Amino acid sequence: MATEPKKEETDEGEGGEFAEFLADVSQEIAQRVESLGGGPKPRAEEKKKTPVVADAGLIAEWPNIADRIIEEMR
Amino acid sequence: MSVVNYGTREITCKIVYYGPGRSGKTTNLQHVYSQLPEERKGKMVSLATETDRTLFFDFLPLDLGTISGFATRFQLYTVPGQVYYAATRKLVLQGVDGVVFVADSQSRQLEENIESLQDLHSNLAEEGFDPRTLPLVMQYNKRDLPAAEISSLEELDETLNFRGVPHFSASAINGGGVFETLRSIASLVLSRLSAPAAKES
Repeated sequence: MATEPKKEETDEGEGGEFAEFLADVSQEIAQRVESLGGGPKPRAEEKKKTPVVADAGLIAEWPNIADRIIEEMR
Repeated sequence: MSVVNYGTREITCKIVYYGPGRSGKTTNLQHVYSQLPEERKGKMVSLATETDRTLFFDFLPLDLGTISGFATRFQLYTVPGQVYYAATRKLVLQGVDGVVFVADSQSRQLEENIESLQDLHSNLAEEGFDPRTLPLVMQYNKRDLPAAEISSLEELDETLNFRGVPHFSASAINGGGVFETLRSIASLVLSRLSAPAAKES
């Protein structure tokens, strides 16, 4: 069954929905991290696999992005 | 795959909002962005055409701060829904941890929903994911439209949700159902968090 959409409450306070989300997620992460124990030993440097956006809003660390965009534009 | 990185003390999860054109994927991200407190508002990157349709993708980095000693980030992406941006959709799916399928509830859009879902499964398979096990939630958007114009939740669920994944009714334009959907996919993704393999060459 689908839950009914909760209508946005105006002026509920900035970050209200986000705060609830953050609380839920924090709890889950805490449980998950605990269940994983200490985990493997820390590694010195590790490359991020997911794309990131630099402060300037430019997309970085996404290999071949220019090629792919050109491909789309054709 | 999302990983608890004990080396850098980071948790990063990539969530992609998928669905047909104009189903409300960007609207979902815009609502999330609008609810962020100022100190957490980063940059939402959106590449749109003159008619406000997503050209390549939207990207919203969600910095959740330090949780249990780990810098935690959710990266929310949308894909362009139009059929001719197939390569971009595949590109955005790389490294995905969870997918929100945003379906357009309008009856006349049912076929587009089906095609987009098939496209998702096909692209996931091509990217090496098992479409049957990757965390997925369905969002039936635009429930605020007149009843005569939209499919029933039962019909949408029967047609689209053959995996029986969590599903949510939403009106993203008003913010309804947006965070419920995000919370659900976040929960599914987090339940699969794992420590990275200890092997090192």
